[in-house]
Amino acid sequence: MSTILESVDVSKHFGGVKAVNHVDMKIEKGDIFGIIGPNGAGKTTFFNVCNGAIPATEGKVYFNGELVTGMSLSQIASRGMARTFQNIKLFNYMTVLENVKTGFHMHTRTNMFDAVFTTKRFKRDEEYIVEEGKKIIERVGLTKFTNVRAGNLAYGIQRRVEIARALATQPEILLLDEPAAGMNPNETQELLEFVIALNRDGYTVVVIEHDMKFVMNLCRNILVLNFGTKISEGSAEYVKNDPKVHEAYFGKGATL
Amino acid sequence: MYVLQQLVNGICQGSIYALMAIGYALIFGVVGLVTFTYGEIIMLGAFSAFYYFIVFGDNLILSLLCGFVVAGLVGIVVHKVCYQRFLDAPRYISLIATIGMSMFIKNLAIIVFGSTMKGLPLFFEGQNLVIAERTIDGVRQQLSLTYLQVVVIVTVVVLSIALTLFLNKTRIGMRLRAVSQDRKAAALVGVNVKNTTLLGNCIGCGFGGIAGILLGLYYNSIIPTMGGVAGLKAFSAVVIGGLSNIAGAAIGGISIGIVENLGIAFIPNGSGYRDVYAFLFLIIALVIKPEGLFSRRTGTV
Amino acid sequence: MKLTNKIKASHARDYRSVLFVLAAAALIVAPIIIDATVHKSSYVIDIMVRILFYVIFASSLNVINGYSGQFNIGHAGFMLIGSYTGALLSTKLGMGGVWYWVAIPISGIFTAIAGFLVSLPTLKLRGIYLAIVTLGFSEIIRLIAMNWTAVTNGPMGVKNIPKIWLFGLRKTSSPMVIYYIVLVFVVLCLYSTYKIINSRVGRAWMSIREDSTASQSLGINVNRYKAFNFMLGAFWAGVGGALMAIYYRFISADMFVLDEGFNVLAMVILGGQGTLVGPVLGAVIVNLITEFFRFADEYRLVLYGLLIILTMWLRPQGLAGATNTVLAGQAITQDSSKKTAVDDGADA
Repeated sequence: MSTILESVDVSKHFGGVKAVNHVDMKIEKGDIFGIIGPNGAGKTTFFNVCNGAIPATEGKVYFNGELVTGMSLSQIASRGMARTFQNIKLFNYMTVLENVKTGFHMHTRTNMFDAVFTTKRFKRDEEYIVEEGKKIIERVGLTKFTNVRAGNLAYGIQRRVEIARALATQPEILLLDEPAAGMNPNETQELLEFVIALNRDGYTVVVIEHDMKFVMNLCRNILVLNFGTKISEGSAEYVKNDPKVHEAYFGKGATL
Repeated sequence: MYVLQQLVNGICQGSIYALMAIGYALIFGVVGLVTFTYGEIIMLGAFSAFYYFIVFGDNLILSLLCGFVVAGLVGIVVHKVCYQRFLDAPRYISLIATIGMSMFIKNLAIIVFGSTMKGLPLFFEGQNLVIAERTIDGVRQQLSLTYLQVVVIVTVVVLSIALTLFLNKTRIGMRLRAVSQDRKAAALVGVNVKNTTLLGNCIGCGFGGIAGILLGLYYNSIIPTMGGVAGLKAFSAVVIGGLSNIAGAAIGGISIGIVENLGIAFIPNGSGYRDVYAFLFLIIALVIKPEGLFSRRTGTV
Repeated sequence: MKLTNKIKASHARDYRSVLFVLAAAALIVAPIIIDATVHKSSYVIDIMVRILFYVIFASSLNVINGYSGQFNIGHAGFMLIGSYTGALLSTKLGMGGVWYWVAIPISGIFTAIAGFLVSLPTLKLRGIYLAIVTLGFSEIIRLIAMNWTAVTNGPMGVKNIPKIWLFGLRKTSSPMVIYYIVLVFVVLCLYSTYKIINSRVGRAWMSIREDSTASQSLGINVNRYKAFNFMLGAFWAGVGGALMAIYYRFISADMFVLDEGFNVLAMVILGGQGTLVGPVLGAVIVNLITEFFRFADEYRLVLYGLLIILTMWLRPQGLAGATNTVLAGQAITQDSSKKTAVDDGADA
């Protein structure tokens, strides 16, 4: 299998704080990859550097073999990397369908003139995104919420809308930032099955979590960060038994 | 020599802007909202002095005090009407309310004071303080300050020092700074945020009132519509200075004054464009450093 | 269940289209009826024309402030550019009469270019910083119009602007004729805005308004769309300005002071920003109220100021604004996480 996302010696410093410190990572196509670590380990920062939300201080990120460090979030997104956010960033005052429609931005070409004069392109684009958008909404099981304003939905459902919106960008890789945060056990289980199903559909999935159990059940390969430094990487089985992980993670009395 | 003279004039004029900006920055710091009523506060300060001179005679220091008090009192009204209800609402709501307030005050002032230009008494007329002098080809050139300019600069410096001492050495001043930095934290340590905000707003407005008097004396004319551009320049100076940074606001004000006067010096027939230089300077400053030139906060994400 | 919903929906659509046709008919025949029945008809129609102008200005500002969440408070600058472009094209380059039909879109495009230029420094800036730049721009433009005497005729303004050609009609600057001309442009403006808002472009704008990081993560080039947004808003402001020039046939820089921009802003906010009808409603109401206060003469603007404050106290989201956008006050007060995001946006 080929590598889809690779980071080489990536660091991110905020002033004197080394949030991410020389991290190497390799994610294979088709994998479900987990990035774990205690709170404040620099997971989200590392993640943000990988997808261009914040610039790296040092190091390089390759996406499908292409160097993407220095590119903006939207440039990297247009190359097929989609993400969700730890603190859900939905367009709260737009409906679920509108949120998903917005996700199709890159795959449609309508400009202002098309819209004003209702050109063929406008009609084709609108038909296409309504049809595909509804499919995606059905795929995530939210058909009955299609025309509900996103801000009015429950937390767990909002997470799904965010994933639906990310899927609308037709990504190769899907980055989920703490997808299980704030979910009850039932919702978490549903999410787990959902992500596995997505993976079966061909999406490479990267999950950031601090919930060990969730990650161990879901991911095949795992990277463990602590204080911004990689302390372990490998198969779930390997990481689970790595004494360094135990020391950093469980040793401090964190819940398993 | 001409350029140097314009530089001196610029510093003097800039110090008035600085005073306005200091008041504005203080208000922005404690209230956390942008106001468009500040220009009208400045105007009211100037007019209060105008009537003070008519009623009580020419006493400069007492007139400044009068301007401070009047502007501060109007500040209370503005606070109650435009800020207090909207502290937790989206910013544009209070902003629009201040625009409404500004229209209200300005047009009422036109009715009450009349729409014509009025003059303030001339203090220290024609008296100059010559700093340097030289003769080139038989033409005598002077670098001088009028007494009025000296008075303006001294007033601004004294007030700035007084404010600094007040903010750093007194209990109330420290409360003001605490509220300015973090409202919630200040409330947690037992500061009465509501009253402190009101007080900060009053003091800020008072400074605006004094600046209005100085502005009126400097140009020897006051008019109810004078507030618009003045308020805008105060706002610009504060933005250049990094919003709630008081020292930055002062520097911003002085630099706007200098830019204006140097613009006039270097560009022929350019006096009509005086305000253009100020606003161009503002835009360029923001393009170079989007968070103000003297912002304490640096690019965190 | 589904079927009844469909029937309901189609009923609603019928009802709306009937209403729409009625409104259109009313707008078309109104001046004729007024002309025939009212004593001082040209005075009444003049007010109606002015309302239509402000509908264009307020709607164009709403494109910027309401849909992409940028904060433009110097709209008067754009209006001035459009107005002067039209006036100067017709007086100095002979584009009066029939050519003015070309001059109008040129004015719009020219203003859109100005909008693009303004958007350049503002792309990096948000909230208050953006607001002050638009304000500064508006003043700069006005002062240039005031002082660049060689081109703009300085403080004297541009006089004797030729009439527009309309099928050989003679009184094309009469309120009646201008009413119909402007009405056509109002319809064009609202229709195009409606279409764009409900397209990919509009969704991109609204996504930026709601959360610009999220819209970037969907591959939306935020800067480009903000610039487009400014250009569209400026375009219609320019068209409106050019139309104003052939109605008053005299323009000067005094007509575009900052207060004029605030005035338009107040209309947008009173009506409800981020909605299509809001600015229309705002323009109608503000103009009618200021007309109504005409008896109060010099107190008119004082009362207007009070009215603005009162609206902010009683209904900050505007008359047409349900709590359905990020701009609506109450919705945000309830959702504290959103509020801090908005605040950070203005600070950062």
